[in-house]
Amino acid sequence: MTTNAASPISPGTLGDVVLRTIGLSKSFGKLEAVKNLNIELRRGEVFGFLGPNGAGKSTTVGMILGLITPTAGSIELFGVKQDGHHWAALRRIGAIIEEPSFYPYLSGRDNLQVLAKSIGDIPEKKITEVLDRVGLLDRAKDQYGHYSMGMKQRLGIASTLLRDPELIILDEPTNGLDPAGTKEIRDLIPSLAHESRAILLCSHLLHEVEMVCSHVAIVKRGSVIADAPIKELLSQGNVLQVKVNNFDKAMAILKNLTWIKSVKIEGDYLEVDLPPNRSAEVNQALVEKGIMVSELVNHTMSLESVFLQLTGGAAGD
Amino acid sequence: MIGAEFLKLRKRQMTTVLLFILIGIVVLVNFILLAISKAKLPTTGHAMGNIQNYLGLPVAIPFALMLISSFGSVLAIILTASSVGNEYNWKTLRTALISSESRFKFLVSKLVSLAILILVGMLIAIIVGFIMGFITTALGGYKFDLSFATGSYFWTQFLQFLRTFFVIIPFALLGFMMAIFGRSAMPGIATGIGVVFLESIITAFMSLAGGWIAKVPDYLLSANVSAITALNGLPKGFGGGGQNEVFPSVTHAYVILSVYAVAFLFLAFYLFKKRDVTG
Repeated sequence: MTTNAASPISPGTLGDVVLRTIGLSKSFGKLEAVKNLNIELRRGEVFGFLGPNGAGKSTTVGMILGLITPTAGSIELFGVKQDGHHWAALRRIGAIIEEPSFYPYLSGRDNLQVLAKSIGDIPEKKITEVLDRVGLLDRAKDQYGHYSMGMKQRLGIASTLLRDPELIILDEPTNGLDPAGTKEIRDLIPSLAHESRAILLCSHLLHEVEMVCSHVAIVKRGSVIADAPIKELLSQGNVLQVKVNNFDKAMAILKNLTWIKSVKIEGDYLEVDLPPNRSAEVNQALVEKGIMVSELVNHTMSLESVFLQLTGGAAGD
Repeated sequence: MIGAEFLKLRKRQMTTVLLFILIGIVVLVNFILLAISKAKLPTTGHAMGNIQNYLGLPVAIPFALMLISSFGSVLAIILTASSVGNEYNWKTLRTALISSESRFKFLVSKLVSLAILILVGMLIAIIVGFIMGFITTALGGYKFDLSFATGSYFWTQFLQFLRTFFVIIPFALLGFMMAIFGRSAMPGIATGIGVVFLESIITAFMSLAGGWIAKVPDYLLSANVSAITALNGLPKGFGGGGQNEVFPSVTHAYVILSVYAVAFLFLAFYLFKKRDVTG
């Protein structure tokens, strides 16, 4: 696979808003699939859209792509409010929804040709270029029906690149892949991001998202329950483990520090929930009051832990 | 977009298979009739000579058109229903729609490419039918007489070609609409073929019932299709309707079939435009 490994875009270089949803809602009968969704995606951003199965991720993607009509709210793409099937915006978006779906009797190249003819103004050399980009050039003449799951996903990504998109939407791009295939796609995603492009990555595979995304929104039963840069979200789960000679006195001292969110005893340790980079101040406060600190260990929570905490254990499948 | 639809249809094996089935039917029926024309009746000991009047060159084209209007309708239903229905079955619809200017243009390009393919299929079947006319004439030892091949003859056949295409349209659109309604090829194919075969049986019973019920078939598909295909010039009872069968007027038939076609088309577009594309 040809990959142009790119560094993640730093938040300082983020560009204008390419996607904004305002109070977006969708109901199917009595079921509220998406409730008052407000998200914003900027150029240069790899935006993780997380949630357990059935949380409303694919419905949201469907609404962004004009496949599903919202019950309420609106969608802005590239600064323009959209209504129904919005071709001018869609032409600037590449998307895989839930799983790559192509005509099984056509070859990989023919499938891309069908899309190229539909979209219009896409030269043959572009098809060759995107096939090469995802490492499928030597299997381009094979029937899609005979492709492995990994190859199907890569053809899906190739199809999103056909129109040189400014926004790429990848809905569960590693679904059904083996570890090697997952790694291939995971390596490919950051390489797709650059200053003029944004990526919306929907997944319930938290490790994947943690590795490639710069910003995360977590949805549960159709509502956003967290929306923040991934570093900020992870830092919210900072826990400091402190081993001291007097638990009761140490607890009392730490509870007096207003910036400490919580303190509890866990086995031989005090677990202190605190903002990032303030461990030294905890140490100083305890030592000044005559408490002997024998261990001080900083634990940053994984996205999975944060997700489980926020969603109450709804980890997905 | 029509180019994309053509590519999908052209490279699909089913399109070729359906064409070969149509050609096969034309060839087979011609050979069967040739065999029957040579068979001697046990009662009289004579061959069924009258069938030879319906074989051979002058009737080769109208006979092929008669076969197309019946068997071809079934094949057209399968082609149109699977063209749109399999987009749902293969989940390619979402990808196709986000790559299309509009849902309307997507359906229009599908219908235009299907119509062209059906016309090409009909043309090929007619050519095969014409060739079969030569073959059966030669094999049957009948006289080659090409005096029929005048401009007026070909003009008449051209008009009948258009009429045959016209009678296929409501069935093809019924399959197309039902595939969209059921979000799968199968409801389209099943409904379309069901109507082709069951309607004629049901209408036969309705005719027997008498009264206003006997008039109902005049507003269904098969009686009106027969009214138009009867213009093919074939003798009564041989693709031109039964000896004593009374069809609605040709104008009535055109109006009724047009109403059905427009209704199916409208419903197909309405359902396709209004409904969310999920799953």
